[in-house]
Amino acid sequence: MDGSVNGAGNDTDDATLRAQQAADSAAASSQHALVQGLAHDLRAPLRAIDSFASLLGKQLQQGAVDESSRDYLQRIRDAATRMAGLLDALQELTAAGRATLRDDDVDLSLLAEWIGAEMRDRAPGREARIDVAPGLAARGDEHYLKRMLARLMDNAWVFSALRPEVEIAVEGERVGDVLHLRVRDRGIGFDPRYAERLFEPFGRLHGVDEGAGAGLGLAVAQCIAHRHGGRIHAESQPGEGSVFHVELPVRPRAEPELARGLHAGDRDG
Amino acid sequence: MDKDILLVEDNPDDVELTRIAFAEAGLDHRLEVVGDGAQALDYLFARGAYAHRAGAKLPAIVLLDLNLPKVDGREVLEAIRADAATHKLPVVVLTTSTEPFDVDASYQLGANSYIRKPVDFERFVWAVKQVGLYWLVLNHAPE
Repeated sequence: MDGSVNGAGNDTDDATLRAQQAADSAAASSQHALVQGLAHDLRAPLRAIDSFASLLGKQLQQGAVDESSRDYLQRIRDAATRMAGLLDALQELTAAGRATLRDDDVDLSLLAEWIGAEMRDRAPGREARIDVAPGLAARGDEHYLKRMLARLMDNAWVFSALRPEVEIAVEGERVGDVLHLRVRDRGIGFDPRYAERLFEPFGRLHGVDEGAGAGLGLAVAQCIAHRHGGRIHAESQPGEGSVFHVELPVRPRAEPELARGLHAGDRDG
Repeated sequence: MDKDILLVEDNPDDVELTRIAFAEAGLDHRLEVVGDGAQALDYLFARGAYAHRAGAKLPAIVLLDLNLPKVDGREVLEAIRADAATHKLPVVVLTTSTEPFDVDASYQLGANSYIRKPVDFERFVWAVKQVGLYWLVLNHAPE
């Protein structure tokens, strides 16, 4: 690496500079889009809080409290909950983008079972079948890979709301040094024409009444997959459920975890 | 014989507030609500779930949010302006966005008005009232 710059140095520097400027401007514009989306999504619940509080105030003044008053009160509380959820999701997204990631061997099957148990715990009355294939492993940061899986499985759960039973399958196989992981559901699915909007912050494909949350969950999942050098995409037909595909690096078989530090030195010896 | 108003809005609170604001403004047009841009286009062009609307009257006005699931408001506006059947339809962008870019882009795409939804309820009612008065009472729309 060092010492390799010679006569061609200026061209290389210019190219590097231009690449850096392009990267900076892409980062700035995606940050701008995120802030705009955030401002939009915080103003909406603020308007709900101010408006329904104002309507409620009028009803109290006129002594005309009725069934709608309870509804207004509930809308105010829901709006506050949405704002809190949005701020939590935003913190999760920025944390995922900045954190120093560990490089461990991670048992994704165990994590998926764990997340499944947590989801059942939160909704004990809900019929749910969560099948996790054994032996799914990747390399990376256990904490963040669990968050990524949780976002994908939450998404599967939420958009299965209209089904009598939630059905989620976590499966995959190793191809070379890559794990091909799939999270399947049998929920409402999405229109494949809009597949690329799915992972954009606030790029919702469904309304709140269909279960849409803060609009950042899949952006978090994508951010974590990318930071692991992986890829993520989704496919679906409306009404037929969705499949989320994640490709994650796996440690090459010839490279046991403990020997990694010695690897480079051993080559010439 | 009043025509409907088409409200394209995915936020149930904003739908309810718009209803209340229209009622307070004394406008009794029927409010047809769709929750995303794809449904808005289906409604206007009598397609999909709205195929039964073929031959039905267009709404008097479209109130369009910009940030919508699926097809967003800008694309809806573009599609309305691109089709001979709807290109004169009054479209009022009613949105939370304050981006100068969105204001310019909306007018560029052929929005008739651009109203920023205020956070404050009294001003929200006032804004909806103005929109209603202008577009539903004062203005003579092209036939």
